Amino acid sequence: MSLADRLVVDRRSAGAASAWLERRALSLAALGTAAVLVVVLYLPVGLVFVEALLEDGSPTLGHVAEVVTDPFYFGVLADVFAEPLAIGDHLGALVGWLGGISIAVTLASPVPGLDLPVPWLAVDLPPVRKGLFGFTAYQAALSTVASVAIGLPAAYILANYEFRGRRTLRSLTILPFVLPGIMVAVGFYAMFGRTGTLNTLLGAVGLGPFAFVETSPLAIVILAHAFYNAPLVARLTVSAWESVDARTVETARSLGASPRRAFRDVVVPQLVPAVLTGALLTFIFTFMTFPIVLALGGLQLATVEVWIYDRVQRLAYGEAASLAILETVLSLGLTYAYLRYESARAGLSQAPSPPPREALFPDVRTALSPRRLAILGYGLVALVLFVGPLASLVVGSFTDGSGFTLRNYAFLLERQLEGASFQTRPVPAIRNSLLFGLATLAVAVPMGVVISVLTVRAGRSGRLVDTLAMLPLAVSGVVFGIGLLQGLVFGIPLPGGWRFQVTGAVAIVAAHAVAAYPFVTRNVSPLLATLDPAMVESARALGASRTRALLDVELPLVASGIVAGAAFAFAVSIGEFSSTVILASGSEHYTMPVAVERYLGRRSGPAIAMGTLLLAVTAASFVVVDRVGGRYEL
Amino acid sequence: MTELRLEGVTKRYGTDGSGTVALRDVDLTVRDGEFFTLVGPSGCGKTTTLRAIAGFETPTDGTVRFDGEAVTDAAPEDRDVGVVFQSYALFPHMSVAENVGYGLRYREPPAGTSVDERVRELLELVDLEGMGDRDPDQLSGGQRQRVALARALAPEPDLLLLDEPMSALDARLRESLRRQLKRIQSRLEITTVYVTHDQAEALAISDRLAVLRDGRIEQVGRPREIYREPSTRFVAEFVGDNNVFDASVRGRDGDRTRVAVDGSDREFELADVPAGAERVSFCVRPAALARDADANRFAVEIETSEFRGERVRTYGRWDGGSVVLQFDAETLLPSDPDGLENGATATTDGGTDDNGADGVDDGGDVAIDGDVVVGFAPTDAHVLETHSAEQRR
Amino acid sequence: MKRRALLGAIGSGSALGIAGCLTRDDGGDEEGDGTLTVVTYESMIDTEDSAGPWLKERFEDEFDAELEWEQLPDGGINHYVQRADRDAGIDADVYLGLNVDDLVRVDDQLEDGALFRELDDDRLERADRVRDEFALGDPHGRTLTYDMGYISLVYDETEVAEPASLEALTEPEYEDALLAQNAQKADSGQAFLLWTIDAFGEDGYLDYWQRLEDNGVRVLDGWSESYSGAYMEGERSMVVSYSTDQVYANRFDYDFSRHQVAFPDDQGYANPEGMAIFEGAGDADLAYDFFDFVLSSEAQAEIATRNVQYPAVADEHVDLDEEFDEYAHTPEEMVSFGYDDLQGNLDGWVEDWAQEFAGQ
Repeated sequence: MSLADRLVVDRRSAGAASAWLERRALSLAALGTAAVLVVVLYLPVGLVFVEALLEDGSPTLGHVAEVVTDPFYFGVLADVFAEPLAIGDHLGALVGWLGGISIAVTLASPVPGLDLPVPWLAVDLPPVRKGLFGFTAYQAALSTVASVAIGLPAAYILANYEFRGRRTLRSLTILPFVLPGIMVAVGFYAMFGRTGTLNTLLGAVGLGPFAFVETSPLAIVILAHAFYNAPLVARLTVSAWESVDARTVETARSLGASPRRAFRDVVVPQLVPAVLTGALLTFIFTFMTFPIVLALGGLQLATVEVWIYDRVQRLAYGEAASLAILETVLSLGLTYAYLRYESARAGLSQAPSPPPREALFPDVRTALSPRRLAILGYGLVALVLFVGPLASLVVGSFTDGSGFTLRNYAFLLERQLEGASFQTRPVPAIRNSLLFGLATLAVAVPMGVVISVLTVRAGRSGRLVDTLAMLPLAVSGVVFGIGLLQGLVFGIPLPGGWRFQVTGAVAIVAAHAVAAYPFVTRNVSPLLATLDPAMVESARALGASRTRALLDVELPLVASGIVAGAAFAFAVSIGEFSSTVILASGSEHYTMPVAVERYLGRRSGPAIAMGTLLLAVTAASFVVVDRVGGRYEL
Repeated sequence: MTELRLEGVTKRYGTDGSGTVALRDVDLTVRDGEFFTLVGPSGCGKTTTLRAIAGFETPTDGTVRFDGEAVTDAAPEDRDVGVVFQSYALFPHMSVAENVGYGLRYREPPAGTSVDERVRELLELVDLEGMGDRDPDQLSGGQRQRVALARALAPEPDLLLLDEPMSALDARLRESLRRQLKRIQSRLEITTVYVTHDQAEALAISDRLAVLRDGRIEQVGRPREIYREPSTRFVAEFVGDNNVFDASVRGRDGDRTRVAVDGSDREFELADVPAGAERVSFCVRPAALARDADANRFAVEIETSEFRGERVRTYGRWDGGSVVLQFDAETLLPSDPDGLENGATATTDGGTDDNGADGVDDGGDVAIDGDVVVGFAPTDAHVLETHSAEQRR
Repeated sequence: MKRRALLGAIGSGSALGIAGCLTRDDGGDEEGDGTLTVVTYESMIDTEDSAGPWLKERFEDEFDAELEWEQLPDGGINHYVQRADRDAGIDADVYLGLNVDDLVRVDDQLEDGALFRELDDDRLERADRVRDEFALGDPHGRTLTYDMGYISLVYDETEVAEPASLEALTEPEYEDALLAQNAQKADSGQAFLLWTIDAFGEDGYLDYWQRLEDNGVRVLDGWSESYSGAYMEGERSMVVSYSTDQVYANRFDYDFSRHQVAFPDDQGYANPEGMAIFEGAGDADLAYDFFDFVLSSEAQAEIATRNVQYPAVADEHVDLDEEFDEYAHTPEEMVSFGYDDLQGNLDGWVEDWAQEFAGQ
């Protein structure tokens, strides 16, 4: 008997318990996923949402109706909601508005501070009251466009060109994702402020100073949203691009398509789902954006989430929950529409043979070609937008009024060495962040994969479950936090003086996993949908359990999606702040973003130093995650 | 090795079983070591039946038995079946050898062999020795299908299930693979269920076959039985070319019955029509419509002919509708070499459904230039269904 | 690796489900166990030079007791209002850092005089040291003020002149100059808003803010964003901030020209901070000891210096170092709204104000 034989026999005679477990692993994992979701998501969120739908114990739509008919929230639409049947009046109003439009050709100087007149088609629209929801959607739409526009070139370059540090750069695209809002705000002011880095650099060549932030707060907020989300779009698109089957392009070329047409006809359709996923996520995120808008843009740019926060502060849960429900309905509606689209175009080719990468700057001549120059130009923009704020933060951590200083890091060191037990120390924060990040990976990846596996071929009901599975992204962060507080931290009273409470590390990891698994699902589902179902059936007929077939066949074939999802899961956990701070029982479960927040005193130096540490640790982790994960990619 | 039985197997889709019905009350026995084929048009339930046998679908009702033991609710991995799919379903991330050896991770190789030996043995069996290190995407379609077969056979399954395994291959390759499959199957004496929509393939390869339609079995039998004695009009028309006539009974002469075909005044004599029948449907194979037949002669106006090497298939019309004929090409062509060009279209189509189970009645050289008179022996007409007066109401 | 991950999910799933953390209220602390749990905001304990560690050490030495700092949860006073509302139990004994509006919120949501005990002045030696004008004005006598901060304007004298009045801020000289904070969220923002309500009245403040908006005021989220972010990066020349600004400028060598403190109309809005004892406190005696300790001359000086806040006690009861005297500025007149002014008004004022800006 050979060794392999004996292994097989061993496996066959292995304990009945483990066989039982393996056989039901998928059902158990689904059950576990459901349990985590119920305890950490549905219960807490349900507790708050119910406030909008109950009035003194009886069901009502009054709160919601009040919100949708309030012009402050819904602008001109409020009238329509208030009297949906008065169609004549609404049409009249519309006609009146259309009559007010005037179009003129004028000269404008689009570049702030530069007196460079450009002929401009000025469309003068009469003002429309957008209301809070309208404005929120408006800025989210603009942010989505900006994020996609800035993210796609990065994806193009990372997927199609080879250069030193490409892999590392790809790993680091996720970095902005983990930064606390206050750090981004400080970084942006440090980069784009009137005395910021950019103006200093421009000043050196005799330009400026320009009031970048002041000239258009909305533009800065949109850029900050792009700072967060363009890397998301880029990352999703790169992994789709890398799984494009190069042979399909070659086929198209051999059939007479020019490179441009082959790109349009063959590559683009394979990228669209990833780009749309990125756009959808960006829209949802920026619709529910909170700290960054008011930190950079000011109260004029307030979003719905700002009002939810305010209502929660005043313990006016009915109104807060109504606003949050409307947000969620909108987000889930978009998600459902997207998933319908995604499933309508399943059945792409598999077994990728990725397109070959060109050297970015092989020689001087090529380097001066228009395409390379455009790439260079984009690189400069990316440098200013992404590296600028981050680098300015790092520089800020080393400076104070008298120039270079190490006192911010000295503070961290001193706190680590001499800090009292009730104080926040850097090393435990780093340790907790990494541990929670890894634990989140271990929970969120199976959760996301299980949901993908269960929904991918389940038709309409699968799509519904899949949509609901996106709930963590579609629920107001503020409401989620309050739900966690009321549901898990305070506990649910049970008979006999007992309380059901979940706090501490387990709850934090569960909450992180709940926030993170949709990224796994969204990365894995599209790939899984393209797999031949006969592959799994073959494996099962050959004796593999459903779980085994998943592990032997499906997972290796969607590994690139899992790795991409896992990276996001890790990033979500590292960057998560609001639920961590609520669930951290006692003082021992704080993470790096929490430490940043706690060090934020009258002077921002220590917090910025901690933020720099957060950046460094995250960057190092991601290089490792991608290196380790890269081995699993095809 | 294994006898397979399906008892009253029904499969409905939809949550409360109210949706579409894929299988209705299917009873079936596949004998030990038999090569059994499920054939029928798409949507007839043949693949659903195979999937119920493999365990990929759980029947709404009924029982699946392997050697008498009910396995209806057993998971696929517990059934010891080997499955080959139309799409090959090779694992692209594993080498050929890993693919073939995959089942041996979970099932022991036959006594006395190691995994490696078994894989080598199987690759040899399908004529792929030395290909073990290749990746599946380096193989041709036929090679991939053989790898899939080797993979399915490696753990020595009780049953081999093949779901349209050849339909993605070209005709010539299909025939050679078919022979190879048949050779391997008889050597291993493994009970095999083969699903195809191609009735010619089914007739060629099977020990027995079942014709399915709308989730029901229409007929089960050996190829010759099915071909010669289709039990329903559907089987008659689905398996091979056939001429089906509907007629009214005019009278009886001893064991012969006189019938008039609808749309024509011509009376035919048939054998084996049950007493009391008023209406009758019967079929006559093209090859049985001979020019030199004594009985039941009628004139056919020829519309087109297809040249098929040994034979010519001819399509024509007569008073009773359209009709398919078959002639020996040797006897036809020399007498009127232009006949085909003038009066008909010849095709040299691959001729995939040429079953040629019977020889052609040779009536000597006859020119075909528009009309031909053929006839058939009363015993060559096969009665499909009859209606008595009460049944018609 | 992936298999283990899968089993991990099952493991933690069942840990949640089964371990589920059932707890039972065991009736709170035993009386007089010698431990005092004090909940307070993070800058009291967790930032540079916080007074918290010093207070703990000295208090424990002096009273042979244990002091446990508890970080104020994210929701602030709301956290405890909700806990009380849901009978979820409160572990802390003392709340350090209470504002007037916190008390208003407590009474609005629970019942009048809820959550904290009415203080018994007879059990306090040093209660009378606290300046009368710093009292929070709680009709239920639940709090004692321990320190105080003034909201003022901080400006760059190289860019703008000192504004003489709030009204001056609407003039062209201060166009696009001022940074303020969201009164919905930031204490400093709310304080400045209340100051303008004091100056222009309930009927006039929105009009004033309209003029401020026309003159380009920017209302950012919190104090950190507006000060550490926008102001320190030179974005604007004036910010709503604290009157102790120069103490920090001195400590960290910032250029004083950008750290000038202005008191428009010679006023500053006063934010007194109070301490209170939770209803369910285990060891009230120790809490009273702690209050007396916090009001001691030494502790008052330490809090003032480390947290850079004004002492709550009269001058003769505290000895501040020169740095504080020199760099912490005091307005001639303090503006402050007490409990009665805010109750029933605050939410509406803030909401009307916020709607002026948002959702246009």
